[in-house]
Amino acid sequence: MIELKNISVKINGKVLLDDVSLKVDRAATHVILGPSGAGKSTILKVILGLLPVGHGQIIIDGEDISSLPEKEAIEARRQMGMVFQGNALFDSLTVRDNAAYFLQDSGKFTRKQINEKVERVLAFVNLDGTEDLYPGQLSGGMKKRLAVARALLTRPGIILYDEPTTGLDPINSKAVLNLIQKLKSSGTTSVVVTHIINDAIMLGDTLTIIENGKIIETGTIKRILQSENKFVRDFFYEIYQDSSLLNEIEARKQ
Amino acid sequence: MAEAIGPVKTTFTQKVKILQDYSFLVADIFKLSPTVRKNWASVLSEMYLIGTRAVFLVLSGGLFTGIILAIETGHNLEKFGATLMISRTVSYGMIRELGPAITGLLLAARTGAKNTSEIGTMQLSEQIDALRAFGLNPVVKLVIPRVTAALIMFLPLTMIADMAGILGGMAITNLTFHIDLAYFWNTAINILEFKDIFVGTCKPVFFSFFISSISCFYGLLTRESTANLGKNAINSVVTSSMVVLVVDFIFTKVIWEIM
Repeated sequence: MIELKNISVKINGKVLLDDVSLKVDRAATHVILGPSGAGKSTILKVILGLLPVGHGQIIIDGEDISSLPEKEAIEARRQMGMVFQGNALFDSLTVRDNAAYFLQDSGKFTRKQINEKVERVLAFVNLDGTEDLYPGQLSGGMKKRLAVARALLTRPGIILYDEPTTGLDPINSKAVLNLIQKLKSSGTTSVVVTHIINDAIMLGDTLTIIENGKIIETGTIKRILQSENKFVRDFFYEIYQDSSLLNEIEARKQ
Repeated sequence: MAEAIGPVKTTFTQKVKILQDYSFLVADIFKLSPTVRKNWASVLSEMYLIGTRAVFLVLSGGLFTGIILAIETGHNLEKFGATLMISRTVSYGMIRELGPAITGLLLAARTGAKNTSEIGTMQLSEQIDALRAFGLNPVVKLVIPRVTAALIMFLPLTMIADMAGILGGMAITNLTFHIDLAYFWNTAINILEFKDIFVGTCKPVFFSFFISSISCFYGLLTRESTANLGKNAINSVVTSSMVVLVVDFIFTKVIWEIM
């Protein structure tokens, strides 16, 4: 379970997050939705401990990791995987080495064990046969799936996705969404950041709407659609206009 | 008045902050240096990139510096009938000063630009965030292998530049001033004392540390845009070059005072 309590982040005098609190249940998928620059990715970086928190608590499985010493915080971070918006793949390494990078560094596995794990996880994300290619030789969707594979290899209980479908064509986008749903069914807790409403409704058990570093609404899609907040109503304009759209997206979710 | 002082104060504060952050990086490099054993593959790869691939550059730099030094001093010494002194001048000049300084400046540009642009690009494409997200320290994975590789490779590269300079000076002195090759070589080598060799070998060690750490620091400092990456690459090369010249001066002054 992930819980953020009254998190505030201020960098170079600019407030990035202002008193943000949210809760994600174990094995649930929580979607953070909002316009560009609202502070969505900042929340993920805060959960991972990549940004200093001015105020508040980050609780992962009952433990406040914001107050842990650096060494223990690193161990806590290893329970999480992250799929970055730009994938953050290492250009000079092959698909195999990219996927295996963090396993190799752990020093806990033999080369044979690592290769077996890599093959298994690449097959899971439908990238078998690409082991010796470089990231530059992959399509956008394949790069995203490789980023997911890399995050999966350390067997994290929590995966954070930053704009997983942004910039992808509909087919690759669908493949990535299916992959996230497949992981959800295997019991992984997920936090997905996106500004695409269809993706948010399709993936999320619960949603948080954020604007200018502040949470506007949080809850299930049905609860959020009952909101009287003007920003929420503007953001979900298409859904309010055509209520059959919501049923259509939710049907795809099944 | 206060309006005029404001930006100056901000710039000064920023410079102090940069110096403070660089000091923290240097402290981390020393503290975490034993971890280099886990990353020997990266060290070897960096040794090839910043060392082996730079041989032609430092060879050319050393060669032409030696040639120019021999011609310039030769024509002046010729007026006093002292062309036999060219070998001493070239030898001292190359081993103590110009060999290390030219190699330092060339590598400040080459290695500095390489390290800053590589690490800066990794910073912009979130690869460094990815390392940190998976519990890895970028100083351990990226900075220490580069600093170690520089520490290992800069001395042999400087020695190559020194030799190229002396041989270039020897060839041009023979062709222009008709000084015997064997005489030139024997004088150039025999004239050198422990102090000269010591100065010539210590400088590259300091240069390598400063160049590699400064360039990695500017790479890690890169944020937000490729324009900042360009600025940081320039800052890295300029700062490293300045440090090479200042350290060279300090070393020369201190060594002459002590020895």
